[in-house]
Parts: sequence; C-alpha cells; structure tokens
Amino acid sequence: MTSSAPTEDLHPPTEQEVLAEITAMLAAVLDEYGLDEAEVTMESRFTEDLDLESIDLVTLAGRLQQRWGERVNFAEFLAGLELDEIIGLTVGRLVGHVVDRLRTAGRS
Amino acid sequence: MALLELDGLPFHVQRLGPQDGGPAAATAVLLHGLLTDSLASFYFTLAPALAASGVEVLMYDQRGHGRSGRPPTGYRLEQFVDDAGVLLDRLEMTGPVHLVGNSFGGTVAFGLAARRPAQVRSILVIESEPASGAWAAKLDGILRQAETELVKRSTLAWVAAKRGAHTARLARSAGRLLATTSLARDIPASRLPSEAELRTIRCPVLAVYGSESDLADQAAWLDELLPDCRSTFVPGREHSVLIEAPDTVRELALSWLREHGTELRGPAARREGSVR
Repeated sequence: MTSSAPTEDLHPPTEQEVLAEITAMLAAVLDEYGLDEAEVTMESRFTEDLDLESIDLVTLAGRLQQRWGERVNFAEFLAGLELDEIIGLTVGRLVGHVVDRLRTAGRS
Repeated sequence: MALLELDGLPFHVQRLGPQDGGPAAATAVLLHGLLTDSLASFYFTLAPALAASGVEVLMYDQRGHGRSGRPPTGYRLEQFVDDAGVLLDRLEMTGPVHLVGNSFGGTVAFGLAARRPAQVRSILVIESEPASGAWAAKLDGILRQAETELVKRSTLAWVAAKRGAHTARLARSAGRLLATTSLARDIPASRLPSEAELRTIRCPVLAVYGSESDLADQAAWLDELLPDCRSTFVPGREHSVLIEAPDTVRELALSWLREHGTELRGPAARREGSVR
C-alpha cells in the first residue's frame, strides 16, 4: 500500500495518475458487479454512469483514506456536500480534490 | 472497510471518533432502515456533524443490507435487535448510548431499549414506530408489493423517472434482497412486544415525522404510550426526512443530545443557544 510513497512525495501525482488509481479502487469496490475500466473518465458520474450506490461511496471513502490518509481528508470534502451533490459527483471532481490536496501537502 | 463477524455473519461497521481527537462527549449508535437503506444514509448526513461535535459514532449495515452479510433466512425483528446488542457487547460499549433510528432502524431501537434499558440513554427516531400488530400487517403489505414490483423493469424505470437514478439503483438492490432472502415473510412474523412491554421504555424519546407522512398520525398515540416521548414534525416532508432534510435532522439531533447532557464541542458548541 505504501510502496510508492517516497517518489510520490517528491513529485505530486498528476491528474492522470490519480485517475488511474481511483479507477483501480472503483474496480475493487465494484468487483461483485464488475466494472469496465475503459469507461471511467473524468466526466463519469458515480451513480448515473458507473452505477455506484451510496454504500459503494462509503467503501470508496475507506480506500481513499487508506491510500492517502489525512492529506486528502475525504471526510472534510464530503462534509461540505449535500447527499444529492455526493450522488451527482463526477470522478473528475474527486480526482481534482485529491490532486489539489496532495500538491498542497507536498509544498508544506 | 471494517467487517466484524458476529455469530458467523460479517457486519460492515463504521466508527467515527470525535473529530478533534478528544474524549467522546457521548456515544451515538445509528440504525438505518429496511430494503433501500444502509449506513450510507447516515455516513453522508448526520454522522460527520456528530463527530465534529465531539460525539463518538457507531454505524453498521443491518443484516442483508449494504456490505454486511446476507443470510437466506433470519430476518425477524428480534434478530435485528440481537445484532445490535451483540455488536455493542463485542465493541464493549457498555455505557449508555444514544440511539438514532431511521424508519425500521427506529423499530430496532425501540426493541433494543425494551430489552436493555440500562444501556440506552435516549432514542431519536425518524419516521419510525415500535413493532405492533398494525405495524406487522402494514409491513406485510408493503413487502409483498415490493417483492413483486421491484424486480420489474417497468417499475424500476418509473422509479428512475420519478425519483432519479440513484433511488432506482437502490430499488433494484432491494429487489435482489427480497428475491434472495425470506425477509418479506420474516418481518411480519416477528415477535411483537405488548404495549405493557413498550411502556417499560422509560428513556427520553424524540419522534421526528414528516408532516405529510402517513406515520405522523400515530404521533399522539406514541406520545401517550411511552412515559417520556415527544414528537416533532418536519414541514412539507413525507417519509424520506433524513435524506431530504438532512440539515433539519442534524439540528434536531444536536439539540436533542445537548438537552440530554452532552457537552458538544466544535461548530455546534459555538451555535449553542441559537437552536431552541
């Protein structure tokens, strides 16, 4: 889980790298239903396009926490959103949040 | 994802500690409803506000729901109440806890309070009722209808058009739960408490209803039945109060905990006095 941490601290990951990681997490979250990874883009909506339900987002939150911990602070990100917004969330918005936070954490 | 095995069945458990890392001002156990519900309904609404206020929060997916195990049988109310009790024991939560129940989760909360009065400090229920003959008959009707309707494409398309894709997604999952388990037959066959048993629930109870919900009609009966119960109505809402009016539920829950001796911290503490 932490094997890639040293290089990542030197170079905050790009949008593409974070998208690839989140796509892999989505595949793990959805493994019982299956997920076509080619279909995950920045514009994909978690519910309408990827068929996630709210409990899948809880599982995804756990994986984000495990991968990036407090630096990404997913709980705080979600606390600022209403349930409707969380359900309508795009992959790109989450990727953007992760990239921003890792960049800020890298500078501090 | 935290999975805890209780009597051979895995339970998806989520705990949020006080956000400031301090000691817990109180412990709240959040119980979700039947079929389309899961701990996610609390995880994205009430739970973060409670944790930000210094409250320790325990949420779990009830049997058959969310990411917990789904046995083919064993869905009578008393089995859901057993789960709550066994989980509290396993987590060594012996001190009195505040129960928050949404819909059927409230029915479980009443069941737990009747069985373990010393362990329950208060109950806040949203669109709930204690089990009774009338409750069992109503659930029987709802579950029979859901069992046949929620597997039909036409019904799911109607839900998607009326309530959006996410609700349709939840409805499809509920259809699978009903198709693969005995839940629809088990719930109406639950052991029902007598009114005398319900009157032994002496802890303070706040019953929250949507003003437009059918359930709101029972408020006077429940206030009368329980020794310490009062009702409040959220204007313009039907059954989905938690999901549709999360801000209102957050304010109600925080002022309820404060009223019952919880010293809230964080933003809620700074707002103290403004919410009455």
